Amino acid sequence: MLEPLFGVLALFPTADDLLKAIPEVKKRGFTKLEAYTPYPVHGIDEALDLPKSKLGVLVFLMASLGAISMFLFEWWTSTVSYPLLTAGKAYNGWPAWVPPMLEGTILVGTFTAALGMLFVFNRLPFFGNPMLRSKAIDRITREKFALVIRPGAGGLDTGGAIAALKAAGGEDIEVVQAPRYSKAGLAWWSKAIGAVGAACVVAGYGTAWVIRTFPTTRPMVEMEDQPRLDAQAADTFFASGRGMQLPPDGTVPRTFMPILAAGPGDGGKALMNPLPVTDSVLERGRTQFDIHCAVCHDRLGTGKAWLDSTYKAQPTDLQSSTVRDASDGYLYWVISRGFASMPAYAADISPDDRWAIIRYVRALQRSQDAPMRDVK
Amino acid sequence: MYRATELPPAPAPARRRTSRGGAPQTFPSSLRVEPLVQGDTSLGKLDDHVRDLSEAKPPRSWYVALVITSLAGLVGLASVGFMIYEGIGTMGNNVPVVWGFLIINFVFWVGIGHAGTLISVILYLFRQKWRNAISRTAEAVTVFAFVCAMMFPAVHVGRPWLPHWLFPYPNERGLWVNFRSPLIWDVFAVVTYFSVSVMFWYLGLIPDFASLRSRVKSRVKRAVFGFMSLGWVGNARQWLHYEKAYLLLAGLTTTLALSVHSIVSMDFASSMVPGWHMTIFPPYFVVGAAFSGFAGVVLVFAFIRTAMRLENYITERHMDLLNKTVLFLSCVMAYAYLMEGFTAWFSSNTFDRYIFANYVFGDQWWAGSLTIFFNCILPQLLWVPRFRRSVPIMVLVSAGVTLGMWLERYTIIVLSLHRDYLPATWGTYLPTPIDFAILLGSVGIFLTLLLLFLRKMPIIATWEVKSDIAHHQAHPSGGLEAEHA
Repeated sequence: MLEPLFGVLALFPTADDLLKAIPEVKKRGFTKLEAYTPYPVHGIDEALDLPKSKLGVLVFLMASLGAISMFLFEWWTSTVSYPLLTAGKAYNGWPAWVPPMLEGTILVGTFTAALGMLFVFNRLPFFGNPMLRSKAIDRITREKFALVIRPGAGGLDTGGAIAALKAAGGEDIEVVQAPRYSKAGLAWWSKAIGAVGAACVVAGYGTAWVIRTFPTTRPMVEMEDQPRLDAQAADTFFASGRGMQLPPDGTVPRTFMPILAAGPGDGGKALMNPLPVTDSVLERGRTQFDIHCAVCHDRLGTGKAWLDSTYKAQPTDLQSSTVRDASDGYLYWVISRGFASMPAYAADISPDDRWAIIRYVRALQRSQDAPMRDVK
Repeated sequence: MYRATELPPAPAPARRRTSRGGAPQTFPSSLRVEPLVQGDTSLGKLDDHVRDLSEAKPPRSWYVALVITSLAGLVGLASVGFMIYEGIGTMGNNVPVVWGFLIINFVFWVGIGHAGTLISVILYLFRQKWRNAISRTAEAVTVFAFVCAMMFPAVHVGRPWLPHWLFPYPNERGLWVNFRSPLIWDVFAVVTYFSVSVMFWYLGLIPDFASLRSRVKSRVKRAVFGFMSLGWVGNARQWLHYEKAYLLLAGLTTTLALSVHSIVSMDFASSMVPGWHMTIFPPYFVVGAAFSGFAGVVLVFAFIRTAMRLENYITERHMDLLNKTVLFLSCVMAYAYLMEGFTAWFSSNTFDRYIFANYVFGDQWWAGSLTIFFNCILPQLLWVPRFRRSVPIMVLVSAGVTLGMWLERYTIIVLSLHRDYLPATWGTYLPTPIDFAILLGSVGIFLTLLLLFLRKMPIIATWEVKSDIAHHQAHPSGGLEAEHA
């Protein structure tokens, strides 16, 4: 609970009058004094024995912290998190970090000075200041200089204070009351929390309603919206009605040689695997197998892959003796032409990749049925 | 500082006196300077004047001006919208001149913005009390110029709807900005400068809001000003911390003011383009910024001083001092241009020499020549004391300097880029109507904000000028006001 009496106030016409009055009032034993002025009056801090402002220390500490953290941030992003090579310069080329570091230091320093002054040292914003309710405040911010005697530990002799101020030349003496504040109780807090909660609920449901009601639009489509024909777009220019024209019959892409086997009867028996058994071929085979084959045949070729439960067809078990005994040429023929439910892969996998896959399948088969000498 | 140039040699050294105590004493008449406030004035009268400016119904001319400037601003914004919708190709910049009007305007407005900081901050550190009356409006010029300036790089990046990519923030792409690029230094410099300017401006306004809150008639205004004043009561303890904060901000912001245009200049100087790759660029740009900023402030005050009846507070002496600063900076600019030419010649680099000659004798000779005329030759008029106090002359010179500094950026950017090391890549640059509309729009936005500020906010830092008035009342015969700083 605050003191109901804030203090006794008197106005002075000039700063010099105020400065002369302070020692006189002090002589009468009133030591807890406050001065209110329309502009900073120099010399008043000494007259009132105000301690020097420690804002500088705070600003120095915070600005140093800003400099160090900015430097560490630049070091971390440029060398650890995202090392980006530009113009062959070293990742930790710190001289280039100085300008942002300087700006960061000043940013933290200035905001500490301003906000520290307002919030930490002056405890603003404070709209409950009893002075704001005094009659004199409007004249103080305009042209008058006020001296306020505040009550000490033993209260204040109001009559004596008025006499002292009058003797010192003060005019318009006013007794400023401090309003009584009651502490915020349970009811206040529950109202406040309830209001915030209600605001959150309203904002959340409102946002959800807006998103559902109005179709989402993309304000910027980057470069997708261009005057060009997309691959599958229709177009009236050609007789076919297609944007992209079909290749002439019999066209094959480079390296995609058509399989020369005559038909199902031949089964590609005449074809030989042109690739050697090397690490790079097996590695390439593994990559292509995992991309194209493993989804049905499993990564070990067991035919028990992820599609089992929903996909009704049963993929072939590549570890079975049928596949083991089949020639490379026959497997090549199956991959190229398809088999039962399996579609043809001639258009998707290049011939060399198909042969590499077959080498890899052979390696898989051996890995699952290795003779003792391989293990040793 | 100005005392040395303004006063004839004193017959006898004046005894210094402190602000408190000491016997009142008279100075020899030769030592007196014109007081910073004139006419019949007092603390209360200043307060009333500033309140009336923000309370009374503005004259018809203000509304006419506001309509014109806001229409210009809307034309500019519409052009920006059209440019974003239709594409960058609607503007004149293309290979080899990839930085066109947008970057010229950016550098120009950042330069204009330097005046406020220099006046409020550097002159504060030098204890130049004449800054008190003009600091608030100069700071407003800074803030509004930066609003215009920041628009340009934002729309120049190509995809203006992704401006947050300029900042280092943790993102799902795992990318960070490149801290070695002067362009990212620029982002830090400009954003820091803008936020610090706004905060500094607001800090100065707090005591004035406190003074206005009880003197405006409308309840809404009273509530707004009351809230903005944060409950300021003018306690001596509050002032103690306030002045400390002001001093600290002045020191820190000085560093900032000098660094920002240096960093802007590094966008150019750290590249290899002939005409850009010069070590003189940072100081040269800072002086140029201060020069154009002071000219802009002279221009503003030349118009509002009589129109808003501020003669008692912004005296002829204020204008004289501002014009002297413009003259001084003009001489420094002339020196910078000469040094640029000397560097080009002394380097024995064919391309540097060619570029510099091309500024003045090339296919766009008018850009370089007019730059030198407006920035170095025209301001020499201000050597005549009578001209420094003549409104038509100062308007002519300041408008010339403003135009000349814009042309200087045009020269640096366009004329350097369109003649590269490879003659095969040489090209020309022609601005389009969209370019001009965007420039016009930035002027419109700036003037609209300024006009609103002039009639809605306290345009004089009353708490600073009040101490001048108090001093003037205590020593009406004039004196060395620097003694009281």
